[in-house]
Amino acid sequence: MMAAWVKGGATDADAAIEAAAHLFASAKVPVVTGLCADVGALRAAYGLAGVIGASLDPVAAPSLYAELGVLSRTGAMGTTPAEAVGRADLVVVVGNAPWDRPFLQDIAAAKPRRGRAAGSERTILSLGGPSNGQIRHVAYPVEPGGLAVSIAQLRAFAKGHLAGETAYADLARRLVAAHYGVVVYEPGEVGELGVEMLQGLVKDLNDVTRFFALPLADPFQGRALIQVAAWTTGQAPSTGFGRHVPEHDPWRFDGARQVREGEADAALWLSSLPSPRPDWLASLPSVAIVGEGSANATGDTAEIVIAVGVPGESTGGTLWNERRGTLTHSSAAGQPAALTAGAVLDAIRARITAKDSAAC
Amino acid sequence: MLTLIKGGRVIDPTASRDAVGDVWIEDGRVVAPSDRTPDNTIDAAGCVVMAGGVEVHSHIAGGNVVLSRLLLPDLYASESAPEGHPFAHAGGSAAWIGANYARMGYTTAVEPAMPPSNALATQLELADIPLLDRGALAVMGNDDQLLELLRQREGANAVRDLVALTVATSRGLGVKCINAGGASAFKDGALKLSLDDEIPVYGLSTRKIMGALLDAVEEIGVPHPLHVHCNNLGIPGADDSFVATLEAAEGRRIHFAHAQFYAYGLSEPGNPAGGFRSAAERIAQAMEKHPNATYDVGQVAFGQTVTISLDILRQFGGRKGANPKKWILNAGDAEGGGVVPFLYKPRGPVSSLQWAIGLEMMLLSNDPERTILTTDHPNGGPFTEYPRIIHWLMDKEARDREIASLHKVIGERSGLGSIEREYTLSEIAQLTRSGPAKLLGLTDRGHLREGARADVAVYRDDRDRTAMFARAKLVLKDGEAIVEDGEVVNWRSGRTLELSVESDKAMEKRTDAYLEDRFGTGLDSFAVPDEAFAGHDVFEDVACRA
Repeated sequence: MMAAWVKGGATDADAAIEAAAHLFASAKVPVVTGLCADVGALRAAYGLAGVIGASLDPVAAPSLYAELGVLSRTGAMGTTPAEAVGRADLVVVVGNAPWDRPFLQDIAAAKPRRGRAAGSERTILSLGGPSNGQIRHVAYPVEPGGLAVSIAQLRAFAKGHLAGETAYADLARRLVAAHYGVVVYEPGEVGELGVEMLQGLVKDLNDVTRFFALPLADPFQGRALIQVAAWTTGQAPSTGFGRHVPEHDPWRFDGARQVREGEADAALWLSSLPSPRPDWLASLPSVAIVGEGSANATGDTAEIVIAVGVPGESTGGTLWNERRGTLTHSSAAGQPAALTAGAVLDAIRARITAKDSAAC
Repeated sequence: MLTLIKGGRVIDPTASRDAVGDVWIEDGRVVAPSDRTPDNTIDAAGCVVMAGGVEVHSHIAGGNVVLSRLLLPDLYASESAPEGHPFAHAGGSAAWIGANYARMGYTTAVEPAMPPSNALATQLELADIPLLDRGALAVMGNDDQLLELLRQREGANAVRDLVALTVATSRGLGVKCINAGGASAFKDGALKLSLDDEIPVYGLSTRKIMGALLDAVEEIGVPHPLHVHCNNLGIPGADDSFVATLEAAEGRRIHFAHAQFYAYGLSEPGNPAGGFRSAAERIAQAMEKHPNATYDVGQVAFGQTVTISLDILRQFGGRKGANPKKWILNAGDAEGGGVVPFLYKPRGPVSSLQWAIGLEMMLLSNDPERTILTTDHPNGGPFTEYPRIIHWLMDKEARDREIASLHKVIGERSGLGSIEREYTLSEIAQLTRSGPAKLLGLTDRGHLREGARADVAVYRDDRDRTAMFARAKLVLKDGEAIVEDGEVVNWRSGRTLELSVESDKAMEKRTDAYLEDRFGTGLDSFAVPDEAFAGHDVFEDVACRA
């Protein structure tokens, strides 16, 4: 039996599901937020949102949309983590965020083993990163204007639009000389303008060599959500079903904005994997579906709280695998938890559908 | 329940059947005529009755299809969409794909390019396509493990075992190779690759890789022959690549993907810059000499589309023709993928000629069962164009009207205008039903003989073939009505067809170690477990050839 609470009082999951169905059946403008969960739960969240006319607002949005806007405007040129580790003779790390990721340790510890750079040394360069000495690299400082401006400068040198014996001219020469170069960054840190510049730089470099972008995934299953969103609605994740036709609009369906401006009247926070709780969650009637044992699995997290199995730990789940750069499935370690987030969402949807049928 | 479809013109070329008659159905199968009173009688008077359509090559799922939606989100925007499914309005979504195939009378569709490294995501997406049975072909031919194995001359058994393991792990229905060695060569700086060019680092050639895969597919007994995307797609002189690849098969079964994109002969001998002219006649003659081969057409339809291909070498070359000017290219774990928007201009010379060549190929074919109708969705255009294409094949007058509205290059560089042939309904059934079903080795569909799966399309017989084939009067899937009067009435789920193939334990162990070393995680992370499908019974076995 999983833990559940309604208005702070402990109850069973069935009663909490019934209360959630009652809340969403009468909501006019509900918001489904968080969406930090496995594929089964994300599919179920879309199913529920379609029925109740909700909008979807992922916690991963800032990182996702730093890339998605650029993707739909100009496209992209990228590679996978395993290809970068196996082939790259030059790795450029942009910003601070990648240095905390295990991937950087992996790629720094290996040499290229496949392709024309096999057997050569791997050079790690840093643009605007730390100089902590843990990984041997050559550091290039960021320009006063920030990362995006620095990348623009670098692109201009690489393209031959700027000339002179500067640090960035040296960096640009190194990029052009690579056999298989990779630029690693975290899109949320680099920002939309910076990502667009980086992708432009990468595309320019491919006129003379092979160079690819490797944006690191957000930690909140945003990449898994993109897959589900695209095949379910043909669109990116920030979508609303208010008119019962999926409409994509990241500004309009920003949950914080909808709550701040008084549009939303109910919320569902889906976070069966750890993610930050929206600071506005307590300001409207809400349901929280959270991982069992998490700090949020308490009665005061939301009006209705249902604790569920944690995908990849206490229950099976298909999740974004950053090392593989794709979806992979993990079984539960040991006896699976009684309840999954997907099952709870499907049950809420079924209750609402049944209520609608009865009303007819 | 015993169902009788009564008094329709029944078209089943596999039984030489083209006459007014009945079709009996019970328990999801076509059965012999019965003396019993049917529980349900469907009046098909004035209608044409065919088996459900079978699609062999349509990009309907996978990471590159996802990227195409994100690159061009407005491509399929639609205000008119099927009712009754929460996401069928969503243009290009899985529900939209299932609904639009079903409305045309199609009941099975195959995604031809599933990267084994992304198999789970592809299979999850396929499983969300309602109404149809689905399947996917596992792509090989650029992956380091295979190329390394060939470089080390490990022998045909090792290749066979790796292919079998790949199909089993990804739960594919068959095997495809896409510009074999081309993606690998691109990553090492190459921009062009022909059949016998050396692939950098590995010292192999497309011929060697493809030959090894052709042998492996035969040895395993995969019903669908190796599905081949040749070198040099879409460039003037690509007909040479097509014919050379056909001859390189040396009599082994081979299927050519989107052949129209290779039927481009040089307009001026020795000068690729002089453009191309139709090589449809050359391709038709070559196909006659090689009964071991089949092809799907890859017909072009006018308008905006987005090209999706794992042939990253070709897609990189095609980036400069992107319209609108944006494109995606991913150098993946083997192939990766390229997504390049493209506008087939209705009156442009190149698009007009491409359009004409596809039709010319079908009209010159002396064996429609080896000539499958596709648009290589969405590369040549959307699959929703099939009814119009069928119309042009069946109606010389309509074809001539269309030609008259297009660029004069059609008359100068193709033979389409002089072809009098009009396809019969039986030939259309060969092109869209019996041919593709046989090609995939799916003996239970594509026909209406006793024992067939009761996948049936009933069309109002209408001289306007576009209207006729765009909205079926009735579509049955496994004997259940899913479409009535062109609208979906029952949003049931189909099955994903997977080849039942055993993998060799020693190859499993060896591959697990290889993957662990390369990806930091073993064979398990490439698996497509039933558990990932939330308890739904998604897959159905297809047996290997005896």
